[in-house]
Amino acid sequence: MNQTTSPSLATSTKGLDEHYDQSRKAQRQADLWLMSGAIMLGTLVLGPIGFPVFLRGLSLQVKAQKAGLTVRPVLVTLVGYLVAIDAALNSFGWAMDMIAHHSLMNRTILTMWGNMFDAGYFWHYNELWIGGASAPGEKAWVFALLPIVFSMRLAAAIGFLQMKRWGHQWMVVTCWFGVVAWVGYVANMTIFADVRYANVVFPVVGWWLYDIFYISPFLAIPYLHSVNREIFSDS
Amino acid sequence: MKNEQFINRQDLKRKRALIAFQILMYGYLLTMFLVQMYMYSVRDW
Repeated sequence: MNQTTSPSLATSTKGLDEHYDQSRKAQRQADLWLMSGAIMLGTLVLGPIGFPVFLRGLSLQVKAQKAGLTVRPVLVTLVGYLVAIDAALNSFGWAMDMIAHHSLMNRTILTMWGNMFDAGYFWHYNELWIGGASAPGEKAWVFALLPIVFSMRLAAAIGFLQMKRWGHQWMVVTCWFGVVAWVGYVANMTIFADVRYANVVFPVVGWWLYDIFYISPFLAIPYLHSVNREIFSDS
Repeated sequence: MKNEQFINRQDLKRKRALIAFQILMYGYLLTMFLVQMYMYSVRDW
């Protein structure tokens, strides 16, 4: 069959292809910076280096959106990456406390953190049979939240950033998990405050200043429930 | 038209519920913070 294409259609298709090509390139470049920054921020120790890298990625994302390219919305990008960083930060610290509690790095960093803000990570550290933090209830939180909440949150954030429907759905689920985690954990901090804040360098205010950054689940819930679900794909 | 009104009403209800949830959650966190600050002021930490 002899197929002919009108010149105007050919031009517009070519323009569209170019547009998608440019959009894909811009998204890839922004993600490269964002992901590198997020990975460094997720380790905590490399955070000061990761933050400017992350900001550079975010500015590339904003620029691409302003230029009219077909890229991931900035708000989806920000919510997705913040949740991923929050999940990574929690996973890393608690995984160290759970399985590497006798390593030199852990005994140095976590007990220093304990000495500064939260004596749950200093008081009788490594004295229980399970090792790591000995504060009342702490290990139960580690066991419940690390494999269920934070691992799932990390997977959900990746699906969300890929604009998959399951990513959006699991973000909703795991952000509500986050509410349970925060309500319980803050109650624990208050009930056992005499253990956790006694003789630390910055009691109460220090812990809150540091931990308030983990509040991303609450910030994300209204957005996740009001965003247009049609922007997420089934495939 | 009726359907549109229903969706708007549902949307409004959802927004209100989300605002109520935010107030509840931040209220809880603030209360816990204030309880801890009170403890800090009366204890020998």
